[in-house]
Amino acid sequence: MSFPKPHLRRRLLAASALCAGAAQLATASPLESLEFSGSLETHTAIEFSGIKFQTNMITISPEVSLDIGATSRLTVVGRLNVDLNDRLEPGQPPSFNRAVLSRRLFFGDDLNAEIREAYLDTEIGSAFVRLGKQQIVWGQADGLKLLDVLNPQTFREFVLPEFEDSRIPLWSMNAEIPVRDLTLQLVWIPDTTYDDIPVQGSTFAFTSPLIVPKLPEHAQVVFNPVDKPTSALTDSDFGVRLAGFSGGWDFSLNYAYHYFDRPVLRRTLQEKFVELDQQYERTHLIGGSFSNVFGDFTLRGEVGYSTNRYFLTTSFADVDGVVRSNDASYVLGLDYAGISDWFFSAQLFQSFLSNHQDDLVRSKVDTTLTLLARRNFMNEALSAEALLIQGLSDGDGLLQLSAEYEWRSNVRLKAGADIFYGSRAGLFGQFSDADRISVGVEFAF
Amino acid sequence: MSDTTRATSFFKFITDWPKITLAFCVSTIIALATSVPGLHKDTSSDAFIAKDDPVLVYREHVREVFGLEDPIVIAVINEGPTGIYNPESLRLISEITDAVSRLENVDPDKVTSLATESNIVGTEEGMEVSEFLDPLPVSQQEANRLKQAIADFPLYLGSLVSRDESTTLIVAELIDQKIADSTYHQILETVSELQSADNQIHVAGEGAISGYLATYIDNDAKTLNPLAGIVITIVLFVAFRTLVGTVLPNIIVLGTVAAAFGFMAAFEVSFYVITNGLATILIGIAVADSIHILSQVYEEKVASPDSDRKTITILAMSKMWKPVTLTSVTTIAGFMGLWIGAEMPPMKYFGLFAAIGVAAAWFYSMTFLPAALSLVNVKPSKLFAVGNQNDRYGNFLKKLGSVALSRPAVTLTVALWIAAVGILGTTQVLVQEAQIENFQTDEPLYLADKAINRRMDGTYFLDVAIETNEAEALYQPRHLRRIEALQDFVEAMPAIRGSTSVVDYVKQMHKAVNENQQAFYSIPNDPDLIAQLFLLYSASGEPTDFEEEIDYDYRQANVRFNLPTADYQLLTKIVPQIQAYVDEEFNTDEIRAHLSGRVSVNHKWLKTISDNHVKSLGLSLLFVFVASVVVFRSFVAGLFSLVPVGMALLLVYAVMGFANIWLGVGTSMFAAIAIGLGVDFAIHTLDRMKELLAAKDGSFDEKLIDLFPSTGRALFFNFAALGLGFAVLTTSEVPPLIKFGSLVMTAVSASFLAGVMVLPALAKVVRPKFLFGAAKGKVGRRALGAAAGSIFAAVILGLGVFSEPSSAADSLPDADSIIAAVNQRDEGQWVSRALKMELIDKRGKVRFRDTIGHRRYFGDEKRTVLFYTAPSSVKGTGFLTYDYPEADRDDDQWLYLPALRKIRRISASDRGDYFLGTDLSYEDIKKESKIAAEDYRFKTIGLEQVDGYDTIVIEGTPVSEKAAKELGYSLVLWHIDPQILMSRKSIMWDVNGNRLKTILNQEIRQVSGIWTTHSIKVENHKTGHKTTFTFSDVDYEQEVNANMFEQRALRRGK
Repeated sequence: MSFPKPHLRRRLLAASALCAGAAQLATASPLESLEFSGSLETHTAIEFSGIKFQTNMITISPEVSLDIGATSRLTVVGRLNVDLNDRLEPGQPPSFNRAVLSRRLFFGDDLNAEIREAYLDTEIGSAFVRLGKQQIVWGQADGLKLLDVLNPQTFREFVLPEFEDSRIPLWSMNAEIPVRDLTLQLVWIPDTTYDDIPVQGSTFAFTSPLIVPKLPEHAQVVFNPVDKPTSALTDSDFGVRLAGFSGGWDFSLNYAYHYFDRPVLRRTLQEKFVELDQQYERTHLIGGSFSNVFGDFTLRGEVGYSTNRYFLTTSFADVDGVVRSNDASYVLGLDYAGISDWFFSAQLFQSFLSNHQDDLVRSKVDTTLTLLARRNFMNEALSAEALLIQGLSDGDGLLQLSAEYEWRSNVRLKAGADIFYGSRAGLFGQFSDADRISVGVEFAF
Repeated sequence: MSDTTRATSFFKFITDWPKITLAFCVSTIIALATSVPGLHKDTSSDAFIAKDDPVLVYREHVREVFGLEDPIVIAVINEGPTGIYNPESLRLISEITDAVSRLENVDPDKVTSLATESNIVGTEEGMEVSEFLDPLPVSQQEANRLKQAIADFPLYLGSLVSRDESTTLIVAELIDQKIADSTYHQILETVSELQSADNQIHVAGEGAISGYLATYIDNDAKTLNPLAGIVITIVLFVAFRTLVGTVLPNIIVLGTVAAAFGFMAAFEVSFYVITNGLATILIGIAVADSIHILSQVYEEKVASPDSDRKTITILAMSKMWKPVTLTSVTTIAGFMGLWIGAEMPPMKYFGLFAAIGVAAAWFYSMTFLPAALSLVNVKPSKLFAVGNQNDRYGNFLKKLGSVALSRPAVTLTVALWIAAVGILGTTQVLVQEAQIENFQTDEPLYLADKAINRRMDGTYFLDVAIETNEAEALYQPRHLRRIEALQDFVEAMPAIRGSTSVVDYVKQMHKAVNENQQAFYSIPNDPDLIAQLFLLYSASGEPTDFEEEIDYDYRQANVRFNLPTADYQLLTKIVPQIQAYVDEEFNTDEIRAHLSGRVSVNHKWLKTISDNHVKSLGLSLLFVFVASVVVFRSFVAGLFSLVPVGMALLLVYAVMGFANIWLGVGTSMFAAIAIGLGVDFAIHTLDRMKELLAAKDGSFDEKLIDLFPSTGRALFFNFAALGLGFAVLTTSEVPPLIKFGSLVMTAVSASFLAGVMVLPALAKVVRPKFLFGAAKGKVGRRALGAAAGSIFAAVILGLGVFSEPSSAADSLPDADSIIAAVNQRDEGQWVSRALKMELIDKRGKVRFRDTIGHRRYFGDEKRTVLFYTAPSSVKGTGFLTYDYPEADRDDDQWLYLPALRKIRRISASDRGDYFLGTDLSYEDIKKESKIAAEDYRFKTIGLEQVDGYDTIVIEGTPVSEKAAKELGYSLVLWHIDPQILMSRKSIMWDVNGNRLKTILNQEIRQVSGIWTTHSIKVENHKTGHKTTFTFSDVDYEQEVNANMFEQRALRRGK
């Protein structure tokens, strides 16, 4: 049997002055429980086309944790990141999408630092509460986001990195309250940070018409200021989740009232130019997840219904170039672990629009299939995996091959290849030129 | 849509999406190839018998009860006047005995020589037992006294010291038979340091032979198989003179071999000695598919030089997919026949995985090859310049063809004559096998075997295991007399030179207590006296002295007969006679006997070869025939396709018959290989003939003449690649590989010639209807039907063959009660502890994991949670299990992976899988030191000390195959300390019967009154990997909070 492997790149963080300060405090005796750990990771990717470095990245992630009394614990994770090639986020990327407290600090173009996570765990009665900057993850799907909407994501390497690394932690309050045999989770997120989207000129800048609106040829474009929610109070996100385990089934019911993390791109055609507005829109998401085991198979699933989603249209007759629709989606996954050292997983993702019009770039039904095969060797010291994400609606996809070797308890060597294929209009096909092989080392300390 | 257009659109699709197709093919090849290192080698000859065969079961039994293994035998030979009875030789014997006993894989208690054995002589008080070489004789007089002592002890004459006194043996039994070859080499090294001028030293014995033979063959095959690959590559180059034509087929070969061996590893089928042949045959088949396709591509390139590469690829593929598919179907059918027909596991699996490999070769030829061809720039091959007109190979084939076609009667007559010679040769084939004959005659092992067996009673052993109903039954004179009579009967056979049993000792002791009078060399009439003799012996002898002859409670005995040779022809004469005698004389309620020992095992599996050979061949031929009939919709076509196969078979047998190559283990595979390779020649020829005959005007000869420069040429290179590839094997120094190479060459040559010459001639004479029917039928669909049909039939038959009832094992009630007591042992309602895991690979590299674990009972339901705390790469990982008391309810398990920040439900049905990289299974982890009583049948098999503690050895065999498969064990031995009701040592065997791992529970001490193990050491014998678990801060007092065992606790990491 084998599992999705903890990819050790992980949390551990990058910290900076704050952490160093905390570490000094550690010498004081009441701070005996203070623990310091972390990782240093290198990541080098070479593009096939033109054989050039896509990125040469070093990431240091220090983590400090400290017990406060018997039931509370403080954890701070920092992150220091250097990209010697600076092609993923050329120059200093805009930070309008982030709330002030969640912004990264840039030192020149190549180096940036941030508090990755900083939270206090405590117990109030039988409830568990986590307060602070954190990741809150919902759902059962791998590599696909349906219920996992609470934290935004950075697309600087599109969806290639682990979500663990690409999710942007938010300042939030998260409480888990046992209610009989169930667990009620209440989430409040006052942090108005949204997705990091690569600017034009970046390696992974979006070009697919699914995301980038179609404009009349030779039209001059005027970008209006982004309309981003800013109020920590009135613009905050809320989530409720009720989870349980009964008769072999793990299940959850989820509800979120939140801003969708990518802005809606509205265009207005003027006589001599085109105006582009970016607005973040609120949506209700209601859904649930489930999983159970049948022999060697694990069945996982998620369903969700979200309101007020906006999709691009190609029709210039349309006033703002977007059409509002609700979206019903599901993911069904089947894992198989019946062969020693192998793990296979297949997922089917489908999303349906309630208000589909002919000129929409997106089809009414969007279908994506993922296939994963992983093999462990040498008592799990070495693992190799192949992940195929195939978009069935646009006929494009992504093949990710990777291998990881635990050379020492604290040193892992990694290698991989990411290959995009299919129509350039597709979500994956748009990056056909970004195919790459990558290598990296991770030291844990 | 017709098949052709459908095929065209398929290949259009492939060539439209070449990158994806290539990525898919390459990733499947890599995925499959990555399994290959997990392949387990089982080169023992025991592998040739089904695990539950009574012969093997009894041999295991004899091994366990009497500790008898195949020994390595060292002979000291002194041809001087005193023989070995001189101080120098005796000192040498003593030194060798000491040196060998110190070797790691030698069981020091199971080394037998003059230096370890004891003399039994009468004294005033009864008898005295003293070691022969204690003290070591320093003068010739003392040596002479020893000579007299041996002469007075008939048991040792012939078995320990030769009757001519020139030779004596040091017999060393091995702990692990699997590494016998390295022990053999260690012993060779050891004795070479002890050489002395007047004494020759030889090393031989079954242990050495079977252990060494496998590596002997394997090592040579390892160098020669790749060499064959290189030669085939050169042939490819000669055939096409292009890089593409040379490289692409090799990638197909890679995929084919990866598929066969990858699946083999995935299904945990062992790599047997004969599996070496599989690689070679797959290389041949994979190359053949590519040769035919590439030939077509180059022909198309010549025909339409301006078409782009995609068009050419599609054109060539839509012409070639059919014959390639047909040959694959028929070849698969042939191998399926072998799979179903053969009884010996190595042969069965040879058939199955050859079929899988052929399927893979077909698959990659249909996908990878066109995808690659549409991407690379196929340069026109010079050889195909003008419709093959200038190519000497095409011309040669054309000449060959016109010879065959112009005089069909002559061609057929010659073929018939060759067939007749083949039949004559076939009658000369001798079913015979003697492992020693697989070695070169100047190999030291071969020389040693011959030297020793010339002088001694023999180094091959036939055991008869005697079993009575109750303890101490073997004190009864009537039983001992029966054994004595058996020994007399068997020893009267010419090939048997001697025997050893407890009766010999009883007689010797009886004589000893009666002042060494020869008249008392007999079995006493009084059972009490016999009991007293053993008691007297134990007063001065070692208690283990008789353990190879009788068990500790005098219920079972073993009689061992010595033979100087053990070839199959001899065994077929004597084994049935002995079996008949045993059936007759040892078939009562109170005493029974079973044949066992290496000799008996060898006889059994060799008999299987001769019984089974015809059956499996027949089935293969039948399957090939049926597949061809279905494919061509013609009974006659089926017969036609058997012609090249039949010619190949007959010639293989003829060569075997005339060259005196025995039909033995390895050689019995050649027939199957001949079928697998031969049928391709038939199908390609027939398919092309059908096309040519339908398509053109003109006489029969005119129509067919195109066959030779195109298909014939491709077949020729197919033949050349295989023939030369296998010719490489004949350069080996190992006799079996030389035979392998030459026989396969014979087979392909015969199939090739029969294919391109006999078939057209025969067609010209017979004019079968199927060749003149519509050329483009729905052959594709039929081929598919044939494939589906044969595979379906194979699966159904295979299921029937596999679902043999398993034999019930008898169990003693006390084992069950011990297990029940173990499972009742108090574990505390809850416990918390720290656990450090160390994972140590075979080179000694250590990885560690620190964890904190908690366990708590909720009624009878046990919940366990484990949190990883270091190193930081795995920190935060959590594992939670609910273990339900209901036996039929699977556990629920969750794993929290910090990288995903998600809790994953994981299947608990593979209890035998390794737990997160350790050598313990999920089941081992979950059960801790308890035992799943519902999964096993238990039997107490003895007492043994572990780390100085007395333990009861309990054997557990899974109740069903399903349980065995789930657990991953076919047998478990627990050494349970009755004082603490915990196993101190557990040994597991995997489902293939190989020793898998040993678990040692150490540092067991009480914590809060509960016996707790603080160290678990696990060694995986298959991988060499080790795991140690060290527990600390064990706390049964502090209550573990119930909410610790909920999913949200996993996410929190505490």
